[in-house]
Amino acid sequence: MLATRTALLHVFLFVPIAYLLAFVGFPIVYNVIMSVQEVNLGNIADLVRPFVGLDNYREVMADASFRKVFINSLVFVGVNVVAQVSIGLGLAMFFAQRFPGASFLRGLLLASWMLPALVVGALWKWMFATEYGVANFVLRALGLIGSPVHWLSDPAVALTSVTIANIWFGMPFSMILIAAALTSVPLELYEAAALDGAGATARFRYITLPAIRPALLAIACLVTIYTMRAFDLIFAMTQGGPLDASNVLPLLSYQFSFQQFQFGVGSAIGTFAFVIVFGVALVYVRTLKKEGGE
Amino acid sequence: MLKQLALALAGTVCFALTPASAQTKTVTLWHPFTLETDMIYGGIKSFNESQSEYKIDARIVPGPQIATELIKAIATGSVPDLVTLDNPVVASFSAQGTLTDLTDLVSKSTYIKPNVYFEGPWASGLWKSKIYAVPRDANTLALCYNADMFKAKGLDPNNPPKTWSELSAAAEKLKDPAKNVYGFGFSAVQGEEGVFQWLPFLHQAGGSVSKLNTPEAAEALKFWADMVKNGTASKDVINQRQYEVTNTFMAGNSAMVLCGPWELPRLQTDAKFDWKLALLPVKDGKNIKASALGGYDWVVPKGAQQVNGAFKFIEFMSNPKILNEGWATGRLAPRNDVVVQNPLWPQAYSIYREQLQSARARGPHPQWPDISKAIQTAMQEALTGTKPADQALAEAAKKIEPILAKTPL
Repeated sequence: MLATRTALLHVFLFVPIAYLLAFVGFPIVYNVIMSVQEVNLGNIADLVRPFVGLDNYREVMADASFRKVFINSLVFVGVNVVAQVSIGLGLAMFFAQRFPGASFLRGLLLASWMLPALVVGALWKWMFATEYGVANFVLRALGLIGSPVHWLSDPAVALTSVTIANIWFGMPFSMILIAAALTSVPLELYEAAALDGAGATARFRYITLPAIRPALLAIACLVTIYTMRAFDLIFAMTQGGPLDASNVLPLLSYQFSFQQFQFGVGSAIGTFAFVIVFGVALVYVRTLKKEGGE
Repeated sequence: MLKQLALALAGTVCFALTPASAQTKTVTLWHPFTLETDMIYGGIKSFNESQSEYKIDARIVPGPQIATELIKAIATGSVPDLVTLDNPVVASFSAQGTLTDLTDLVSKSTYIKPNVYFEGPWASGLWKSKIYAVPRDANTLALCYNADMFKAKGLDPNNPPKTWSELSAAAEKLKDPAKNVYGFGFSAVQGEEGVFQWLPFLHQAGGSVSKLNTPEAAEALKFWADMVKNGTASKDVINQRQYEVTNTFMAGNSAMVLCGPWELPRLQTDAKFDWKLALLPVKDGKNIKASALGGYDWVVPKGAQQVNGAFKFIEFMSNPKILNEGWATGRLAPRNDVVVQNPLWPQAYSIYREQLQSARARGPHPQWPDISKAIQTAMQEALTGTKPADQALAEAAKKIEPILAKTPL
């Protein structure tokens, strides 16, 4: 009896491990292998390719656009995480108030998150068009700007524009998760606090925030991982331009691999992106563990 | 259970008894043409009906993804038998030995004779004097203008700009910031399309890709940069793909644009004004006629199962009778023995056909994507005002020099 149980346990253990090795481990290892090889269209189907050591990494580090794109990625991800989580928190608290249609409207907000990223990108490209875009039209009508803003064609503005679009796109996801976390806070705590004379700010600070802090951290990690992968939205809006002003690591890796056919360099950039995501994923797993332990 | 078994058995028997299906070999084809009126649909249909040896099985792959998809197919070793590739990337594939050498098949062909093809399209399929591709169609750029706006601004719609100075003068007159109208529109997007649109100007100025650090090249880029700077062209051109430039034209936001013949079906249905076409203006004093050369090539990836079937279809599609149908979607024939009688859009047809005579190929060069990237960067730098045109181009020349030292154009 015990023997069959352990045998079964091994099977249960083997299936996910085999899955992880085949579909997660192999691509990662393969990417790392490609990043230390010279890979071109002629030898991409071969298994044995010329080994070039860290040349691809050196080339990447020396590339001026990589440094720019690396910083872009950090800024893009940082701003997205802070904005998506804080706006998501604000909206989740707002919709937690009881008013007619609250949950319906909250569900409706999720619609933007359900759209394909390419569609969202095309939409924002339209709205951010200098001449006929609605963004400039509204800002002008309100008298906030004199001359039209070149949202996507000014190198100084393009990153801000794609960041705004991505916040809009990803925020509902954080909001829904935070809303779920909020429902787990016992209402009695609020009632007791109100009786003790705690105001809204105090209740938020001493009850809500501590109660959902682990959830917030986990959500922040998830948003970081999702944003690190942002590709299609930016691809549709600016293709990373002008002059890589709105480019991020995954898109740069794609451009090197599939537009310049320099697969080794593309893989090296992929490795950089992977290391960052992996670090964040570790933090996420640790947070989940802690959350579960409490 | 028994019933299912019986059905399965019956199916097997049927399959074995049908001789045609057992012999017909499937030729897999990838192409990006989504308009049902494209010649490829009629071609596939009549090819499949005309014989029973091969059957074309087509899959649509969006244009920008076709090279990416082919790379993935090559990497996994399961390639389609036939692909239509954008002609400037063909050399990247053929030089690395990923395409089937078609030289022998072409030499035995009745329809495909190198000397009937226009030089540029044919050159795109050559590598080290071997033939790796056969041109499917050709396209080029011309000046598309809004005749109604010409009239409204006191310009003669029957006398479009013929020189650069006439072009800038007309554009200056046509622009109307209050109505969001720009005089001239073009695509300077960071991508192959932007290079495709700018190269005619480089060539008209007397410059060339191999000599970008010359005053001629700088003048060509400055011509575009100045238009953006003084508001004759939109700043958004650096982020607009070609179809988006056409959109601004159709929406009445650009009075003149660079435009390829593939846009004609769209212009016909969506442009609610009188539009006309003109040859690209030439540079004053230089008078060099030049335009861009685009188009798709048929290629057979190495490792294809049905090389002969694929080539048979290439031959079928190279028949002047089929190529004649290409113009229905604005595709020009890549060969000089095809002249469409009573074409749709007759004025456009004569302009594009004439413009094709001065169309210059990009490359062929296995590292064209790298060369193109260097030019794209220079264009973006000059048009955003980050760097002056001559400096941006000098830096591009520095990147291109070692590439051309290895393999000249």
